[in-house]
Amino acid sequence: MSRIITIIVGHFKSWYRSKSNIFWTIAFPLLLIVLFGAIFGNGSTKFDLYLQNQDLSANTPTPYSQAYIGVLNNTGAFNIHMVAAGQTVQQALDFVKNDAQLHNRGQRLLVVPAGFASELSATKKANISLYFDQSDQASQSLKGIVFAATNSYASNLSNSTTSIDIQQQNLVTRNIRYIDFFIPGVIGMTLLTTGVFGAVNTNGRYRELKIIKKLATTPLSKIEWILGMVGYQMILATISLVVILFFGYAIFGVTATIDFYTVGLVVAAALLFPGIGMVLANFVKEAESADAAANAITFPMMFLAGTFWPRETLPDIMKIIANFMPLTYVNDGLRDALIYAEPAQALTNTIIALGLAAFFIVLGSILMNWKEE
Amino acid sequence: MSRDQPAPLPGQSDKIVQVENLSKKYGDNIAVNGISFSLTKGEVFAFLGPNGAGKTTTVEILECLRNPTGGQAKVLGYDVSKRSDQAEIRKRIGVLPQDFNAIDRLTVRENINYFGAMFKHQLDADKLIELVDLKDKRDEQFKKLSGGLKQRVGLAVSLVNDPDVVFLDEPTTGLDPRARRDVWGVVERLRSQGKTVFLTTHYMDEAEYLADIVSIIDHGQIIASGTPDQLIDTHGGKKTLIIREAGEEGLKQLPPGLPKAELRNAGDIAIPLNNGELTNILMSLGQTPLHDKEIEVRRPTLDDVFLNLTGRRVSEEGN
Ligand SMILES: Nc1ncnc2c1ncn2[C@@H]1O[C@H](COP(=O)(O)OP(=O)(O)OP(=O)(O)O)[C@@H](O)[C@H]1O
Ligand SMILES: [Mg+2]
Repeated sequence: MSRIITIIVGHFKSWYRSKSNIFWTIAFPLLLIVLFGAIFGNGSTKFDLYLQNQDLSANTPTPYSQAYIGVLNNTGAFNIHMVAAGQTVQQALDFVKNDAQLHNRGQRLLVVPAGFASELSATKKANISLYFDQSDQASQSLKGIVFAATNSYASNLSNSTTSIDIQQQNLVTRNIRYIDFFIPGVIGMTLLTTGVFGAVNTNGRYRELKIIKKLATTPLSKIEWILGMVGYQMILATISLVVILFFGYAIFGVTATIDFYTVGLVVAAALLFPGIGMVLANFVKEAESADAAANAITFPMMFLAGTFWPRETLPDIMKIIANFMPLTYVNDGLRDALIYAEPAQALTNTIIALGLAAFFIVLGSILMNWKEE
Repeated sequence: MSRDQPAPLPGQSDKIVQVENLSKKYGDNIAVNGISFSLTKGEVFAFLGPNGAGKTTTVEILECLRNPTGGQAKVLGYDVSKRSDQAEIRKRIGVLPQDFNAIDRLTVRENINYFGAMFKHQLDADKLIELVDLKDKRDEQFKKLSGGLKQRVGLAVSLVNDPDVVFLDEPTTGLDPRARRDVWGVVERLRSQGKTVFLTTHYMDEAEYLADIVSIIDHGQIIASGTPDQLIDTHGGKKTLIIREAGEEGLKQLPPGLPKAELRNAGDIAIPLNNGELTNILMSLGQTPLHDKEIEVRRPTLDDVFLNLTGRRVSEEGN
């Protein structure tokens, strides 16, 4: 045990004494967050509003519903996104949920029901439904504008006896902004690069410097060496996670929940990425080429695994490739756990990540020559 | 080793290293070809040979880093091929691998303690720092040291577990003359402490200066062994009379009846000396203009031993 601690401390000292290490594991991710947050953080100042108009006649919107939507549009407060009329409300809500996340919009749906026009003309009364998250600040102002617009539409209809009721339906959503999406991705990216490059360095370069050879002549065992490296990676991963989350909160108010799955994912990442690095270092013996190989692997993985943009925006073929990227599961798991509060999905991703981690760390350990080369 | 003798208990033998008929093959390449030798307690033993001779291969078999393909090797009485014995060997040996570097961003002292922590007991880092003369640099990061100082850190690290035998694989290769001398100084201190040292080198002068026993290895085979004096007496050939910077001119001025002289670099004239001839030759030289020149008698060195045994010289680069 004391040998393992010595190795962890040794790696850790080597880490914090190198300015470039500090830059890549701490400053660079923070820089990315500030940069991407500034570029994509405040999108349009209008409210996103999904709208489903079920009030059709002969497959075209009735004049009443059409006019109502026109009024909403004329407020200039909304970016209206139409949802196909044929879907049930549940289908429409599911669609909104996905589409809103994908485009970084708020989840609000206004449904104009079938019979809107006929009821208005027959009874001077109609119902529409607004689905939104009542705990969301933006939604409160949105609600106000919808109410005002609806009243003004109703009062402009022939006479003042017309009323339109708005059924408020609460949606429990988290209004996911780009920065909320991005922060877990940055964490995943940092774990990836520190893990892969750390392992290439400690196993490739230390081999070139004969440090590993020297250690192999002492009572230290290969397993202890690997445990030391993994332990160090776990500490580094924890530091990255804490620092990034703290800055995300301090600058952009990103609130994250650290739960059991987060811990599982950090453990998985601290095994998985060094494992990949070890496998690399064994196939590419020369430390410098191993470094190049590590770049060649981490870069595409970063982009394909949905670090910067949602994977849904990728072409189909890339989506399929992304399924084979270990980082995909770490990124998704971290998002599910930290931001989306989706324990079921977090669990699935954590299990997959842990499985991949076990595979790569075992493979890396088997491939690693401790003695003869 | 005779079969009749009872085998000494592991760890108790006076024979620190015993190698018999040891071989190592890499495919068709025979790196070590049936070598035998032994090391006695307190000895400084030099394995002398050119690049690719099989020095590292042999040393690393003794360090349990490589498996032999044939023969037997024991270190401190333990068999290098037995797993349980290997663990005992690792506790008791000190190793400086060829081209070793310590950890860049740890200081001298931290490096010594880092490697020391791999053992149950370690020597005091400050004592080791004193032994290798690095007091001023003890809190300096390894990467900031010059090549010679780095090598001294390597030496300190190889001694950190107070080993019963120290293996130094080419400890001075690539160092400038000054730094080589420093390393030699450390090895001499080890000798005076009674440590057993196994060192490899392709520097003839190093082996001659440091070693009690020298084994010359070439193409995986030991071609001669003994004390430097024995090797020189047996294989070194004759002494040589050197007339410094006499040039072509000087050759013509030589008195007749001398053994065949040859012209060497820098215009030195070399005349092989048979026993008892020196006085006569000097007398006859006194009659020529050459008596003004610087004249010296050179004893053969291990260089000559190697040349006579192999027909080749080991150049500075070891080729
Ligand atoms: N791992 C290996 N695989 C294949 N061949 C090897 C290996 N290690 C050494 N050899 C070969 O074995 C021979 C002896 O090599 P070794 O490294 O023992 O020589 P050396 O005397 O230490 O040389 P040097 O002075 O260059 O260090 C060489 O021909 C070398 O190419
Ligand atoms: Mg060698």
